[in-house]
Amino acid sequence: MNTRSTLIIASLGLLPMLGCGNSTPQFSNRQEFHELEPFAQEYVGEVLETYFGTPTESVAWEKLPLKFHYADTTVAGEPTGRKVQFSLTDAPTQIGSGTEVVFLTAEQRNLASARIREWDAETRTATFETKLANIPSTGASALIGPGAVLKDGRMLYAEHCQHCHGVSGDGAGPTAQYLNPRPRDYRLGKFKFTTTKYEHRAQRGDLARVIEEGIPGTYMPSFKLLEPAESEAIVEYVMWLSMRGELEYVLTTLLKEYASEYVAQRVADGESYEAIRDKFLADIQSGGMSDTVQEQAGYIAEAWAASQTPDALVEVKVKRIPSSPESIARGRQLFLDANIKCSQCHGEAGYGNGPQTYSMMPDADIPGLFDDWGNPIKPRNLHTGIFRGGRRPYDLFCRIRASVKGTPMTRLDALPDEDVWHLVNYVYSIPYEEEIAGAGKEAQAAAPAEAEPVQPEKEVASN
Amino acid sequence: MKWFWCLFFALAPILAMAVSIASPGYGWWFPSEAASPLGQRIDDLFYMILMITTVTFIGTQIGLVYVLFKGARRTDADVNEKAWFSHGSHELEVIWSVVPAFILLFIALYQLDVWADYRVKNLFPREEMSKLLEEKLHQKRTEHDSLALAEVTARQFEWRIRYPGFDADGHLLPLMPEPQPTDLYAVNDLHMPVKVPVMINLKSQDVQHSFFLPELRVKQDAVPGLVIPVWFEANHQRSYALLCAELCGWGHYKMKAQLVAESDEAFLEYLHELHEQQFFDGVAAEEASDDEDE
Repeated sequence: MNTRSTLIIASLGLLPMLGCGNSTPQFSNRQEFHELEPFAQEYVGEVLETYFGTPTESVAWEKLPLKFHYADTTVAGEPTGRKVQFSLTDAPTQIGSGTEVVFLTAEQRNLASARIREWDAETRTATFETKLANIPSTGASALIGPGAVLKDGRMLYAEHCQHCHGVSGDGAGPTAQYLNPRPRDYRLGKFKFTTTKYEHRAQRGDLARVIEEGIPGTYMPSFKLLEPAESEAIVEYVMWLSMRGELEYVLTTLLKEYASEYVAQRVADGESYEAIRDKFLADIQSGGMSDTVQEQAGYIAEAWAASQTPDALVEVKVKRIPSSPESIARGRQLFLDANIKCSQCHGEAGYGNGPQTYSMMPDADIPGLFDDWGNPIKPRNLHTGIFRGGRRPYDLFCRIRASVKGTPMTRLDALPDEDVWHLVNYVYSIPYEEEIAGAGKEAQAAAPAEAEPVQPEKEVASN
Repeated sequence: MKWFWCLFFALAPILAMAVSIASPGYGWWFPSEAASPLGQRIDDLFYMILMITTVTFIGTQIGLVYVLFKGARRTDADVNEKAWFSHGSHELEVIWSVVPAFILLFIALYQLDVWADYRVKNLFPREEMSKLLEEKLHQKRTEHDSLALAEVTARQFEWRIRYPGFDADGHLLPLMPEPQPTDLYAVNDLHMPVKVPVMINLKSQDVQHSFFLPELRVKQDAVPGLVIPVWFEANHQRSYALLCAELCGWGHYKMKAQLVAESDEAFLEYLHELHEQQFFDGVAAEEASDDEDE
């Protein structure tokens, strides 16, 4: 074999490895970040790396209201060097052989963590691989699986979610470009389908429901077969990405005066570039910036924490009013009401073609409606029978009461519960209308549930 | 050297046989035993064909190896043997055309009834299915109503399931071709009564998918625009894998669902549970379970 054929064979062998370069995932940054001057970029990048780390080396920032660990607990019973019992009401199923434990008492703090060899879920007792150098005292706090939920979440996110939602949760993964609607960009901290009030963020349960049930009518599939603990880990990771994105968004907005465009303007107006930069660096030196970061992160953490309380949920005081022709007719009346404005976007017949869909919004280049992410969106065609945010009456109630977050849909805070239920009943009836509502046969179209179920015309494949 | 190659090519079929015999022990075989009566019959067909091909394989390999060694022997210096010119032998041509033709014809005819039982609508176990619906599940039905217990719609990339719901008195309704306000919805989680033939209507919302229950040996393409009835019977009370067996897009691998085979009572209970979840109105759960039709 001569040299040339050896080379050809060798390069053929390398072919399958094409495209397998350095594949360590990296967090990307928003557009606003790249518009900043390099010194400001460097600072924002540093802040994010300090408090959130990188995708592979993530940091569990205690300030964030997230469940980073399998368990945050205390030592119970009579601990020995090898066996320690913990006080846990219910033992997380992920704890097992190999799980790390860190004791947080003063004398244990600097010790290397211990690894569990055997875990007795009944008695919540861990047997360690090696004998503990210092036996923790009863009542000492301990973290079982420190940061492990975040780690699990990251692995599952990478497996199931990342290719659409992106490494940083920016909704721009490799498959995102093929999808319409676009995958959610978490970095505004907004999620469309929630059961929380208008001013609140999503609850963990809302995110878990979307993961388990999927969103019909979009590309978000159901991940029903995930274990509950897996779904919970993904929820924590998504919230974590969301908080990271929000902090980045807030910081880049606050530092807008250091965007290249503005700095160039100021330099043109006679200021010196060095002076602007040095003022910024001095601000960092004095700790003023870091106070701002802590403060902003605090707001984000508080907002998320507040959204997890039962008070954040949309409240239903009146039981659902059973559907009836009268209720549907009343719902239709409300739907067309000029003050409630449903038909402005959803159209008088509910086809999602109301006048707003072809009006110019204040600062838009093209007519139509846009969501908070800047994507053009269409109001839902209510005739399809597809309910993206869930088809329970409660889901529809929440949509009407608290709107679809991040979209131009208006909330209806002041509407009495009874009227919301009438609207819900009307919305439910729309897919079963045989005539276009308003075409002159309302009475007939309004009572579809009373009609005979559609009989198969012939004994087709259905039988 | 020539004997090395003779042995080499003689060993290849022996190795192939050894691997085939060892495979089931290593789990390189069917996904478990067939978990349905029809699946058992499909497996029997497979084993019959496997036996025919095994006998054919061994026979042809023995012939090949024999010819190999005989030919190699002829090239030895001390041998002065002539080759047999068999080209154009009418007898041989007839034998190796007619024998395989009979075998193929036999297989074609022998498998007909399994295929017919699985695919021909008139041969579906209708009586058993309607008995289940009427007597066990107390469905209010007429003879025109569908025997299907659910409509399974494949879409990129999940299985959306529509069950018939209950009427105001809590009786199970028949499945209608078009969605009804009372219908119950689920995704990626198909529940069915166990040890009895059941039927689903298979649809696709976008591209071609394939409804695949490997343990039950059920595989049926879902074709856009068609409603395809599929019947199956699960032998055991447990969950089975439900997969897509037609490359349907980049997320094909995500179409992983489960079939839960359970008792008639548990199935009805599951539907009642779905009903309660689906009509939850945000007030107390126990009050919200009352039947509301819209």
